[in-house]
Amino acid sequence: MILPEVNWAAVMPSVILTVVGITVLCWELWMKEQDRKYLAWLSLAGVAGAALFSYTLWGRNESAFNGMLALDAYALFFNLIICLATGMTVLMSRHYVENNELPAGEYYALLLFAAVGMMLMAAATDLIVIFLGLETMSMAVYVLTGIRRQNVKANEAALKYFLLGAFASGFFLYGVALVYGVTGSVKLGEVATYISTHFSDGAGSPMLLAGMVLLIVGFGFKVAAAPFHAWAPDVYEGAPTTITAFMAVGVKAAAFASFVRVFLLSFGALHGQWEAILWALAVLTMIVGNLTALVQDNIKRMLAYSSIAHAGYLLVAMVAGGELGGAALMYYLVAYGLMNLGAFAIVVAVGKKGEPNEEFNDYAGLGFRYPGLAMMMTIFMLSLTGIPPLVGFTGKFYVFSAAVKAGYIWLAVIGVLNSVVSAYYYIRVVVTMYMQEGEKQVEPLSTRPALATAIVAATVGTIMVGVLPAKPMALARHSFASLQKPAQTASSTPKKDQAATSTPTATAPSKTPHH
Amino acid sequence: MEHAHAAATAAVHTVTYLRWIVFLPLIGVLFNLFVAPRTGRRGVNLVAPGVILGAFLVALTAFFDLKELAPGSALVDSVYPWITAGELHIDFALRVDALSAVMILIVTGVGFLIHVYSTGYMAHDEDFARFFTYLNLFTASMLLLVLGENLALLFVGWEGVGLCSYLLIGFWYTDPEKAKAGNKAFIVNRIGDAGFLLGMFLLFWTLGEQGIWTLSFSEIQTNIDKLAVMPSVITAICLLLFVGATGKSAQIPLFVWLPDAMAGPTPVSALIHAATMVTAGIYMMARLHFLYTLSPDALSIIAWVGAATAFFAATIGFAQTDIKKVLAYSTVSQLGYMVLGVGVGAYGAGVFHLMTHAFFKALLFLGAGSVIHGMHEEQDIRKMGGLLKRMPITGWTFLIGCVAIAGVPGLSGHYSKDLILEEAYGKSILLYVVGTVGAGMTAFYMFRLFFVTFWKETRASHEMTHHIHESPWTMTLPLVILAGLSIIGGWHFVFPVSQWLEPIFGGHHPHVPAIIQFMPTVMGFLGIALAYMMYGRKANPAEGMEEPLDAWHKGALHKWYIDEMYDAVIVRPMTALADGLWKVIDVKVIDATVNDTAQVTGIFGGALRLWQTGNVQNYAMSFLIGAMAIFGLGYYLW
Amino acid sequence: MDAITFTVLSVLMVASAIRVVLNRSPVYSALSLVMLMSLLAVYFLYLDAHMVGVLQIIVYAGAVMVLFLFVIMLLNLQDSIQDYRQEKLWTMGILCATLFGELWFFFGRAGGESSAQHAVPEGFGTVISLSQKLFTDYLLPFEITSLLLLVAVVGAVVLAKR
Repeated sequence: MILPEVNWAAVMPSVILTVVGITVLCWELWMKEQDRKYLAWLSLAGVAGAALFSYTLWGRNESAFNGMLALDAYALFFNLIICLATGMTVLMSRHYVENNELPAGEYYALLLFAAVGMMLMAAATDLIVIFLGLETMSMAVYVLTGIRRQNVKANEAALKYFLLGAFASGFFLYGVALVYGVTGSVKLGEVATYISTHFSDGAGSPMLLAGMVLLIVGFGFKVAAAPFHAWAPDVYEGAPTTITAFMAVGVKAAAFASFVRVFLLSFGALHGQWEAILWALAVLTMIVGNLTALVQDNIKRMLAYSSIAHAGYLLVAMVAGGELGGAALMYYLVAYGLMNLGAFAIVVAVGKKGEPNEEFNDYAGLGFRYPGLAMMMTIFMLSLTGIPPLVGFTGKFYVFSAAVKAGYIWLAVIGVLNSVVSAYYYIRVVVTMYMQEGEKQVEPLSTRPALATAIVAATVGTIMVGVLPAKPMALARHSFASLQKPAQTASSTPKKDQAATSTPTATAPSKTPHH
Repeated sequence: MEHAHAAATAAVHTVTYLRWIVFLPLIGVLFNLFVAPRTGRRGVNLVAPGVILGAFLVALTAFFDLKELAPGSALVDSVYPWITAGELHIDFALRVDALSAVMILIVTGVGFLIHVYSTGYMAHDEDFARFFTYLNLFTASMLLLVLGENLALLFVGWEGVGLCSYLLIGFWYTDPEKAKAGNKAFIVNRIGDAGFLLGMFLLFWTLGEQGIWTLSFSEIQTNIDKLAVMPSVITAICLLLFVGATGKSAQIPLFVWLPDAMAGPTPVSALIHAATMVTAGIYMMARLHFLYTLSPDALSIIAWVGAATAFFAATIGFAQTDIKKVLAYSTVSQLGYMVLGVGVGAYGAGVFHLMTHAFFKALLFLGAGSVIHGMHEEQDIRKMGGLLKRMPITGWTFLIGCVAIAGVPGLSGHYSKDLILEEAYGKSILLYVVGTVGAGMTAFYMFRLFFVTFWKETRASHEMTHHIHESPWTMTLPLVILAGLSIIGGWHFVFPVSQWLEPIFGGHHPHVPAIIQFMPTVMGFLGIALAYMMYGRKANPAEGMEEPLDAWHKGALHKWYIDEMYDAVIVRPMTALADGLWKVIDVKVIDATVNDTAQVTGIFGGALRLWQTGNVQNYAMSFLIGAMAIFGLGYYLW
Repeated sequence: MDAITFTVLSVLMVASAIRVVLNRSPVYSALSLVMLMSLLAVYFLYLDAHMVGVLQIIVYAGAVMVLFLFVIMLLNLQDSIQDYRQEKLWTMGILCATLFGELWFFFGRAGGESSAQHAVPEGFGTVISLSQKLFTDYLLPFEITSLLLLVAVVGAVVLAKR
């Protein structure tokens, strides 16, 4: 009898989250109304467990499930980012769900399932698995976007996201099909091998280029790069703020994880072909994101455009490539995650049921009535602007210095000028809080412990990771390096694999890759 | 330097106490944030100036330690490795050499006096803890800027001081004008910062191309000959960094924020917008003197910008009637002299003037603050007058400040300004003439200010006159000390600054004809005399100030309409572009549809409705166009 | 698959896909979808994937479409989607055609590029080989798909329940 090769370790964080998600879903059926808060704590415990497990796996570099999934430091690093995003979202949601009377069980379950999809995307080394992870994540997020059923904005946002997401998935799949058509495989390693043997001159073939372009469109949609960003502001504005935070950080991180893995691993040899496209995308994304953010009056919408702009900076890091660029991208995602989660958490804190308080004017005078909250919001805004020594500065410094080192001077110049423009709209928040009198006296919920924990944690992270960037950066470099040396396949080192996983695995019949 | 150490060679000594110069004010910040609510005003009044005094004492220790060493030596404190990216290692390292020693003494010394003064000035303000938080944070940032051993760390301080300045300008939020001023300061400074960052990256890249990835000052200096072969690149780097300096040090064309910045509390104007922060640009260029020396083109542009600013700001100073605005334009003008000093390669003279200016301008601002305090927030000099009798300490110390800035021999301003002008003469007679005429103008408007404010009888309302009083000792004591420093600050045997800085910048002094040496002094006296004749002799010096103004006067009063011009040329087109882009590319769809779909609820109804509005089609269309464009690009590349 | 069969099938498929989108009556749209699914099944059959072909007909053309029609009938949807914006439709059509043209151009340049050809192995497409593949090599995608379906079900319930 043929037994499947199962590397439990590689999927364990995902399995933990799935099991916890299903438990949450089922438990809710039996629990009393007032016990709903335990769902949040259970979800948080699940996320913590997944993060812990990912942490213990550090140092492993294996290929699992027939070369479909990688267990490498790169995937684990992204697991931690995803756990950070999910955990913070759960903390933010604890009271938000209660106040807005959202279906708690489904809410947390979908959140966890989305995180599973993200983790699979980050670890996948097979285009089909990437697609499945992407769809799992997206499907859950579509629903979460529209989970406020009575809200027209939310319904519209969910539907738009769904329709355009399906459209983008079409592009993505077409790209996968073309890549398969040329190389005869959907496994990233085999695609890379095929390209390096057949297109050693780096010229590629038109069909492969078409496939890459279609994949860029698909990924571009998910990371909200211009011109595929049009959905983002509407969806970010319409979604519950907690989910907006989750989307802005988690979805973007997962999509970039996969984007980078596919392009640097599979199409690394054809760097010359796709880098110009990404160069143009990066420039367009930064400019469109920053300029349109200037004229927004709604904070969520402003943050949406700002997250588009940040996707542009991340693309700069990707274009720069190499170990520095890749590590800079990963560091920047951490930075971006911390400060954005914090900023959204404050938007959550300021909002109330039926009274979202998302306009700039609603923040007027907040600095005097709630100095602590306003101070932390100021820190997030300054960090997003790129003011040292906060994490946003260090991140931008890494990204732009990677670009400079790789010789993309103009890209760095455009990036620097863009970050100067961005100061204007971030500072507007600070100005509104400290230097204007509000017409209405918004009363935040920040005293709620879960939310306060999230905000304080983000603040501490924003400061500490910025002041002491060496350790996280070393981790990012190490993780990115693991991407560049191809993982050992399970079948070529069966003993090590079995010993490490201590599960009764039988290796599948020889499926040795070509190399 | 001491001869006993002449044999010793310049060296770098590692120490570990320098960090406390930065950390002590930071401890003050934490105290003001978290402990102050419990201790109340008394605790803050003790701790906030106390930490600065502590930093001053540490700075003094460093100064004397450095004095023991051979000329050209430095003390370095490597706290921890900060940023590592490939071959690039940026340490969190602090460095004290002759230049930064002078700077930290100014920052902590003058800073301490201003902190003490502030305890009196803010005695009736509810928000004193927040005020001192910012003030301490500012001091920490400024010290980091000065002590930072590399450009990145300098940039941290650079942004930090900008931020605090911005927060302090908008400290009294109730006035929307003040908030606007804060915003303007921030944005203008960001434009400067863009130049700074670009210059930093260009320097970084150019050196990197030669195989040296570094931002450390000492390493850049060691490898400067590798850059020397590329004069045009050096000029570009110097000018980009200078753009940063024009922002921070309020030079043409980015000086517009500084006069508006006077909206902040007066001690802030004294500390940040006169004595320390605005000199950051001059410090940065002096720090990178080895780079600037390699680019004569950049230097001559800098010299002309400095001279033009010195002159131009002085013309505006003629017409202002707000006591702080006059001082603000005089600050812009004096900063112009420092930049002129740097531009003619007289870095030592520039830093010397920086120091004397810190003394007398802090004195003048604090004096103005004392006046405003005594007059119950009145800033219009036409409503003052006769204050010399009612506020004698403030009045007399203010006079000392005016004499110092006017360049009267014996007081500090004379020595430093003349040094710059003599060096300028060595480069170009025209620079000298512009600077010298500017010196006369400075003397004129400063004494105009003095006569209108302090001379003759008061013009305040009767009730107001009754309340005018001398300020408490916490405010007058700093005035007296600063007045003393303004007198002796230029005396060579007390503060041998130029000589002290010689090992860093190299020393040479041009020999100039006696007439050239005397001219600025003569111009200064002429200015004072003219001011006396126009304002001092009248029974009511303010008379005529309110009469319809001729075009020239009006232009000066409105700052030559610079703000309006910027608004029309830069701000509005930018906003229009953003607005247009937003309208074309990203129509705010949700609002439009929500208005249409007031009754429709539920996802199915929403779905049908959505099909009809066509918005998703619009998005899909932009999507398709994007994909097409990328295909086109891909095809073109292939 | 020979070129003629391929061309005929493809033209029919694209035509029925367009019918799905352009039909004003939801019932007709659904029926066009049935046709589309059936033609897709023919593709699979031609590619020796008999099992998948049959499943395609049973699951999609059969079960799913019946459900669609059921919902449409139940909600009594009339010809509600009528307000087409002709010019928008044209723009979309032209854009799609241009994109297609670009791809065509790309592939034209590719010429007779030899993509990696794979011979069909023995027993390909049978239930046994399919399930063996599914539970060994493709175990992970299989499991992820089940999670995806769970998400979809939960999502449908969340959005539909009142």
